[in-house]
Amino acid sequence: MDDRLRETLSAMMDDEADELSVRRLLSHHDQARVRDQWQRWQQVRDLMHSGHTPAEGVDVSANVRAALDGRSGAAHHRVLARSASSSSRWRWPAVAMVAVALVVGFGAGAGWDSREGSATAGAPEIAAQAVPDSEVAAAQVREVTLQGLDEEQWEQMSQYLLEHAQHNSVGAGRGAVGYARVVSAGNGY
Amino acid sequence: MRMNRLSSRLRATAIPALLLAVLALAVPGLAAADSDRGEVNQWLERLAPALNMTSYRGVFVYARGDQVHSMQIAHRYRDGVVEERLVMQDGGSGEIVRRGVNVVCVLPDRGRIRLDQVIPSGPFAEAFTSQLMPVSRWYSAEMVGEDRVAGYEAVEIALRSRDEYRYSHRLWLERTTGLLVKSHVRASSGDVMEQFQFTSLEITDDIPDEEFEIRTQGREISRNLAADDGLAEASPVARMNGWELGWRPDGFAPAAAPRAGRGQVVAFSDGLAAFSVFVEPAGRLNMPKGVSRIGATTIYMHALESGEREFLVTVVGEIPPATARKVAESVRVQDTLALEGNGS
Repeated sequence: MDDRLRETLSAMMDDEADELSVRRLLSHHDQARVRDQWQRWQQVRDLMHSGHTPAEGVDVSANVRAALDGRSGAAHHRVLARSASSSSRWRWPAVAMVAVALVVGFGAGAGWDSREGSATAGAPEIAAQAVPDSEVAAAQVREVTLQGLDEEQWEQMSQYLLEHAQHNSVGAGRGAVGYARVVSAGNGY
Repeated sequence: MRMNRLSSRLRATAIPALLLAVLALAVPGLAAADSDRGEVNQWLERLAPALNMTSYRGVFVYARGDQVHSMQIAHRYRDGVVEERLVMQDGGSGEIVRRGVNVVCVLPDRGRIRLDQVIPSGPFAEAFTSQLMPVSRWYSAEMVGEDRVAGYEAVEIALRSRDEYRYSHRLWLERTTGLLVKSHVRASSGDVMEQFQFTSLEITDDIPDEEFEIRTQGREISRNLAADDGLAEASPVARMNGWELGWRPDGFAPAAAPRAGRGQVVAFSDGLAAFSVFVEPAGRLNMPKGVSRIGATTIYMHALESGEREFLVTVVGEIPPATARKVAESVRVQDTLALEGNGS
């Protein structure tokens, strides 16, 4: 893969790629390598930001191609149709995200919004695991992944966090830090 | 241009790793010096009053795990009255305005926030002031040096835990006022697990009244902190109705804490860190058991059987998972009826 293609990929991740470059990328002879590069960057990016790597093992090129050509596959018909009609100047990542979401079956349709809470809430877990922690290892306790919680469980969990943050702001209150914990607990999804 | 993009991506990946490496190197390198102990204590004594009595405005960020929030704050101390206004800068809009003992909280209607619980209630810094002093028994305090935060000269203080039951802390206090401008919660490895930091700050007594007026449209909830005094002052021991804690790390004392409607919760604090213990009948709650972490915050859930009833013990706090587990497993239920009566 040459530098120009690599740069297009990079620009796609930053929401800066133009349509022509994307087409060039999709017509590259070695799609496997393009995909690999995309997935690697996506993983790095996700680790640094929201934690999820829905791109893993997923080929979005077909859907992207479909989007570029203005066709819509059966699966993403509804969503793409909406984005196409609302504006002709679509933005690449929006389409890609929808495509990825549909392919993985992650948050299809309305679920994209409603599960967002647990999804991002789970992110700190991934970040935490990336850091070796002897204390956890020594304790040999079961890790509960936050993204595994259902709606009701997450609700309960955030309530615990909130109440604790409130105790914190009073008991060991550090002014603004206390407030920040309260807001983070209530808003942290 | 092309190479810039690539190298900036590389940099973005490398920087956190580099930071961690630097931190890991820096921590063991700190030399304990008896001579500065007096100086450290002087700074720590200023911390609590400075939180209330400094007037300032600015924006701070708070991060734990990879959640990051930023808030705009204006804080004024005039004629013995504290006025404060906080505006959330990301996520849902909302604000908290405090004038003395009156707190008004305006938040958008949607979202999962149970609004009544977001309002911090109870005497704010009073509890903190009285608890700060013995901190040096559980943490070794050292002056690390000088730094600059949000344009202000600051002194950096390391509070390293003396045992494995708590995390270490770093505090940055502004030089002239003692205002806390930055803080870290760190694991024994030196990894930063939670951080708070002003990104812009202006320390000034000249903050006009209109900066403390509510501007967000939305549901408004107000609460008078003084009205809660009766509850806040109630003995925490009385609130441990029907259960007791078999073990807790030295130095953690029951803290004055508001009640948020739920009966069976007690907060403990060693002056810097705090954890809350919730005990309630398992009932319809079907929670997974085990540990979860968000930054420095550990949530440990434990099932407890007493008689024929099952209870859910939850420990939440800025403490290591192993500590949370030990605390949770030490809870003993003495009177299932008392818990059933107040628990829900």
